[in-house]
Amino acid sequence: MSSQKNLKLTNRQYFFLIIQTQIGVGILALPFDLHTAAKQDGWISLVLSGVLIIILMVFYWLLAKKYPDKDYFLLQQYVLSKWVGKAVTLFYIVYFAGVGVLILLLYGRMISIWVLPNTPFWILSMMMVAVCMYIVCCDLVVMARLYTMFSAFLIFLVGLILYSVKDSRLFYLLPVASDGWGGILAGIDKGIISFLGFIVALVIYAKVEGEPKQKLKTIIFAQITVLLFYLSIVLVTFTFFSTKEIALVSEPVLYMLKSYQFPIVARIDLFFISIWMVFVATSFSTYLYLAGLGITRVFNKKHSPVIVLIVGLSFYFLSLFIGFNLVKLDQFSSYIVKGGYIFSMGIPLLVLFISLFRNRPKKESAT
Amino acid sequence: MGFFKDFFHKDQRADRRISDESQEPKQPSTRNLSNNIDYILNALKRTEDLKVRILKKGDAALLYIEPLVDQDKVQMNIFNPIEIGRVDSIHDIPSAKETTNLEEAVNSLLRGHAVYLEDENRRVSQFSVTSVFNRSVEEPANEKVVRGSHDGFVENIMVNINLVRKRIEHRDLKVKFFKVGKKTNTNVAILYMEGLADPEVVLKMEERLEAIDSDKVQSPGYVEEFVEDSAFSPFPQMLNTERPDRVVANLMEGRVALFSEGSPTSLIAPATFFMFYQAPDDYNTRWYTGTFVRLIRLASFLIAVGLPALYIAIVSFHFEVIPDDLITPVKSSINEIAYPPVVEALVMVIIIELIREAGIRLPSPVGQTIGIVGGLVIGDAVVRAGLISNIMVIVIALTAISSFVVPSNELSTTLRLLTFPLICLSATLGFVGLIFGFLFIAVHLTKLESFGVPYFAPVAPLRLKDLKDTFVRFPIFMMKNRPKDAHPMDYKAIGESREWKKNEQSKKS
Repeated sequence: MSSQKNLKLTNRQYFFLIIQTQIGVGILALPFDLHTAAKQDGWISLVLSGVLIIILMVFYWLLAKKYPDKDYFLLQQYVLSKWVGKAVTLFYIVYFAGVGVLILLLYGRMISIWVLPNTPFWILSMMMVAVCMYIVCCDLVVMARLYTMFSAFLIFLVGLILYSVKDSRLFYLLPVASDGWGGILAGIDKGIISFLGFIVALVIYAKVEGEPKQKLKTIIFAQITVLLFYLSIVLVTFTFFSTKEIALVSEPVLYMLKSYQFPIVARIDLFFISIWMVFVATSFSTYLYLAGLGITRVFNKKHSPVIVLIVGLSFYFLSLFIGFNLVKLDQFSSYIVKGGYIFSMGIPLLVLFISLFRNRPKKESAT
Repeated sequence: MGFFKDFFHKDQRADRRISDESQEPKQPSTRNLSNNIDYILNALKRTEDLKVRILKKGDAALLYIEPLVDQDKVQMNIFNPIEIGRVDSIHDIPSAKETTNLEEAVNSLLRGHAVYLEDENRRVSQFSVTSVFNRSVEEPANEKVVRGSHDGFVENIMVNINLVRKRIEHRDLKVKFFKVGKKTNTNVAILYMEGLADPEVVLKMEERLEAIDSDKVQSPGYVEEFVEDSAFSPFPQMLNTERPDRVVANLMEGRVALFSEGSPTSLIAPATFFMFYQAPDDYNTRWYTGTFVRLIRLASFLIAVGLPALYIAIVSFHFEVIPDDLITPVKSSINEIAYPPVVEALVMVIIIELIREAGIRLPSPVGQTIGIVGGLVIGDAVVRAGLISNIMVIVIALTAISSFVVPSNELSTTLRLLTFPLICLSATLGFVGLIFGFLFIAVHLTKLESFGVPYFAPVAPLRLKDLKDTFVRFPIFMMKNRPKDAHPMDYKAIGESREWKKNEQSKKS
């Protein structure tokens, strides 16, 4: 494996790494969440939140561009001084662990509702953690290659979703903004949650080769792709189900697909959910990787399978504490969402702010 | 630590080289004939097939190992010149190779040479009179093609290299010989195009070959396990082939071929997964056909690995996936069966493997009988007896056929092995298990490397240009660049080759 070590990612791999991380558990319930907040105007909220994210990405880029050879954790150690930076990194690890566990929980719940009602959580969780540990225990480049390959499945998902366009009724989207902008603004919150995972763009920025401008293009293009993908899901489900119906179906995408029967296969929702699992695995592995990377930075270790094993197992055991318990799950997810704002927006912007008062590291100016 | 490791390794390697040189002992010949003969006899442990022919009334002797030597050649090369009177003494025959080192004489005896010794003379003359038994270069039985060349490699390494050299008349084709196996002294050769093959790959191959420290090396399969990157992976990381045209095509892509004496199989590295799905036939047919056949082959990969697992997942977990009209026939065929689908599948797969394994070793008429008894009789009886549902028989038969579609026997066995874990996974977790199984395989393929080259190229890492020759086969004149996965030094393979079309058109106008 020696020749692959220290290979930098190409822009294409960077692109797919970002979208594979962002597109994940959320897609099944996204239309429902948006709808509860903003009714039929949910798609406007989604677009607005997408725009917000793109603006945020520019700030990310400004920060990462300043220190082109430091990944986010090293950058924190540089900007916030060594020990404060390490402490913040520790919090990040906790946050990533939280997100990872949340992904596991949501995935377990979805599988248990839709596919395997009798299988205990620990088995589903164990399988997922095992596969993802296997993905993460080698280099980032290999992960990126894998994600690029898996992105072919995106075409399947889009194809399946677009199949339902023939039954959509656009008038379900009317009236636009009838309840005022309050609901739409509330929907932005839900929209941003679905984009969470964009932090990966910042963390691994330094591991990508290419000009900063090109990278910015890649990041923004990735966000636009994710936005378009989400938008297609939301629009199709919003126009497929009427406003009243959608309040009743918690996983609109699956219910929509369930209603179709092809001559060769019935129940394509099962195939959809199977492919969806691949996306869950990629998002989860990214968080596994990020947490592992954080640990290597805090303890100055090298990326090794042992760290991945430790991180993966701790993710696994943490997820067992909650399992299928819905009350705890909701509570937990609300914490993680709040954490998302702090860790994906608050801290990076703060670091950017502080970095304005810091000189650029001298090494870069020389090279 | 790494530094120290390197340090010690280098040391070891250096030591070995020195000891290798010193291992070639020297034993100067004496002027006494009987002493010389005695030494040689003892060195060869007084083996009884070592023939000592006393000549010149006891003043000279010709030694050779009888089974290794062609009597006609002895007559022609050694005695004819003297009988004709062209030379006075056997020592004067120009084709003789001379030495005064008896150890060298012993080694050349083992190579099939004849050794001539004279009393009162320290000169030792060696004559190459080896007998060679070659079968003809006929088409390998396991890699037949419809069109294209019908010759194949044989057990003689020189003939094999000859077959390659005849096809590449270029000064860049380079051969390097290695002696591998301390006791068997097997000749191993690597072939590559200098200036095309990645020097790093060549270097890796050389290092790994030199590192082999084994008494015997009997086949390329043996060498393969010593030099491949991940010995614990189920996937073969070097391409096995007995076809010269396949080797030549791969050499021209900048890969390295490895031959070993005594085996018609050559190994090609670095290999990628999709190389195993390319057959020489693809390039001999029209490209539409080539594409179609290749797509069928790649589909066979999915069927061979996944079909039984998918079927089990559906009938034991997700019956609702089957469309309404099909539910009744499927259900009715399964209802009669006492065993769960997993057991059915495993039993059927094992029966098929038994038939296959039995068929290989038997003479072909008996093999056919086994096929008929196994396939038709067991297949039919097992369904009638109610042990296995007829749909399961269809599924497993299809799987078995698909696994034989792969042009490479190595990969075909791998595929059949991979079915088992997938069957178990889908029998326990349904689609979820199946997806996890495929994820594991996909991740493994992406991680795997063959001589520093990603195994799953050009899909992961994705390289759109190289997909021209992966799932589909584009017309040959459109594949202007060599695939990148082998890291060739020179990418351009084909220039403008259909310029004539433009010229003709301009002439017309």
